[in-house]
Amino acid sequence: MSHARLWSRVGAAMLGAALVLFIVGPLAKLLLMATPGDLGAALADREVREALVLTVLTATTATLLGAVLGLPLAYALARARFPGRRLLQSVLELPVVIPHPVAGIALLLFLGRATPLGGALGRLGLEVVSHAPGIVAAMLFVSVPILVSGAQQAFAAVDPKLERVARTLGDTPWRAFRRVTLPLAGRGVLAAGILAWARSVSEFGAIVILTYHPKVASVLIYDRFTTFGLPAAVPVAVVLLLVAITVLTLTRLLQPAGQT
Amino acid sequence: MIRLERLVVRAGDFTLGPLALDLPTGGYGLVIGPTGSGKTTLLEAIAGHSPAADGRIWLDGREVTREPPERRGIGFVYQHYHLFPHRSVEQNIAYGLPRNGQGAEVRVRELAELLGIAPLLERRIQGLSGGEMQRVALARALAPRPRVLLLDEPLSAADPAARQRLRRELRALHDREGITTLQVTHNFEEALQLGDRVAVLADGRIAQDGPPEEVFRYPNSPFVARFIGAGTVLAGTVRRVEEAGTAGRHSGPFAGIFTSGPVRLQVIAEREGPTHAVLRPEHLVLSRDVPSGTARNHLSATVSAVETTGPVVHVQLDAGVPLHATITHTSAEALGLARGHDVVVTVKATAIHLF
Repeated sequence: MSHARLWSRVGAAMLGAALVLFIVGPLAKLLLMATPGDLGAALADREVREALVLTVLTATTATLLGAVLGLPLAYALARARFPGRRLLQSVLELPVVIPHPVAGIALLLFLGRATPLGGALGRLGLEVVSHAPGIVAAMLFVSVPILVSGAQQAFAAVDPKLERVARTLGDTPWRAFRRVTLPLAGRGVLAAGILAWARSVSEFGAIVILTYHPKVASVLIYDRFTTFGLPAAVPVAVVLLLVAITVLTLTRLLQPAGQT
Repeated sequence: MIRLERLVVRAGDFTLGPLALDLPTGGYGLVIGPTGSGKTTLLEAIAGHSPAADGRIWLDGREVTREPPERRGIGFVYQHYHLFPHRSVEQNIAYGLPRNGQGAEVRVRELAELLGIAPLLERRIQGLSGGEMQRVALARALAPRPRVLLLDEPLSAADPAARQRLRRELRALHDREGITTLQVTHNFEEALQLGDRVAVLADGRIAQDGPPEEVFRYPNSPFVARFIGAGTVLAGTVRRVEEAGTAGRHSGPFAGIFTSGPVRLQVIAEREGPTHAVLRPEHLVLSRDVPSGTARNHLSATVSAVETTGPVVHVQLDAGVPLHATITHTSAEALGLARGHDVVVTVKATAIHLF
């Protein structure tokens, strides 16, 4: 190996190492800050437990709602070529590039009690702002692009000729989807769903504007930090970090070998 | 039976048809054409995957133009087989059979025995050889007893040795099951060996169809002649030669002179004027000197290239127009052919096909 190539490799390795350290360092420090005793105390705290339960329930609702609304669309985007397809794709990417407080404000203006939609939902008993549905709305808004684009990729990876073979063998379109496409894209769709769920759990900016109370975990951490200071926020933060690491491990396990 | 009436299919900028095709029940039809000529689009239209913009499709006496694929009774084998990767060999073959049906297991076993893949039934798809995958794909397509079998370049993924064997097996399978089969290929040899009928597709239209031997001997256009490798195609004109005793007879074949640039050939023609002549490579005889005999056309030519491929020697010649001849190794050695040598090319008037 030439000297120039050797040095360029050493250089790349050192830059990469600095970046990895920048990510791992703070998280490791955070994990080490909380003793098992602190964690136990945090989990014994009723407000913390309620926040975690609320977070899990709202994130799950947002993900399932996103799946019902988004999976047919993801399949259409993967299979069909239609006018406006690129525009639609761009619209679905919008929530990713919008600052989340901005998303929160936009949702507030759209779903607030004084708005026609918010008023109508309120009369149906579905209060959005300052209630759990507001959390779900914020989570759905920020996480659904991840679900749709992930599922779209998973569907696109299934050769449409497999579906055509199934059709000639007697399957209706829905039956071919159920017997061929879904089993083959299933892992990818599930991985996209888990990532969207994790994105919902980690959301703060949009939720805090729509629904400060009842508090989800991220809002609770912020609340403890501003009210009681850093030591009070750390144990709750560690619990949320552990949830995130578990979710990431799960999605990695779901991906087929050789694919990252 | 497959009958297409003025079928038109649009796929993006490409338009297939209008085209007509008639394949009797139990027939084996081949559609050949270069890449992009619309072969796969044609099969997918018959299967119902691409909608017909115009015209009608009949299968076994029933019009299916607007029927969805699952109600057409078609078996389809793609070029790359497209077996279901999440199912075993057995589950692939049984895919189109009613579940829990008593007959399903029997039918799977019967086809597996017929195609020699019974030992593979429990296996996963991953790790099967190309030949094995093809048999599984065929068994899967045949299992529900389709009325029509459509094959999309089924042999192109096999190596040359296996291709020859698979070709024989395909024909035997067809004859045994008696199923109307339409196969697309870009290989004319396959058409000669397999098909009862062949249609040559060019730019979405059928350029010529008929029995393979007839298409091979009497191509009707420069495109078909070149595509099926019929030999050198020369564009030129035919003039009638008035011989004693034939003067005044103006119907039926006559002796004529075909002129193309510096080349003049005696031919048997049916009409005068602009035409094309096909000189088949195996009909050109090469010699050092002008031979004596009945062959009447002699052309002086220079050897521009000699190429040995398998059983024959290909000789590229310059006779004012480029010519291509195939000769045996023995003749090539006897002539001591090499680039730059002068030779005499002899071809019988009756061996020149005009269109």
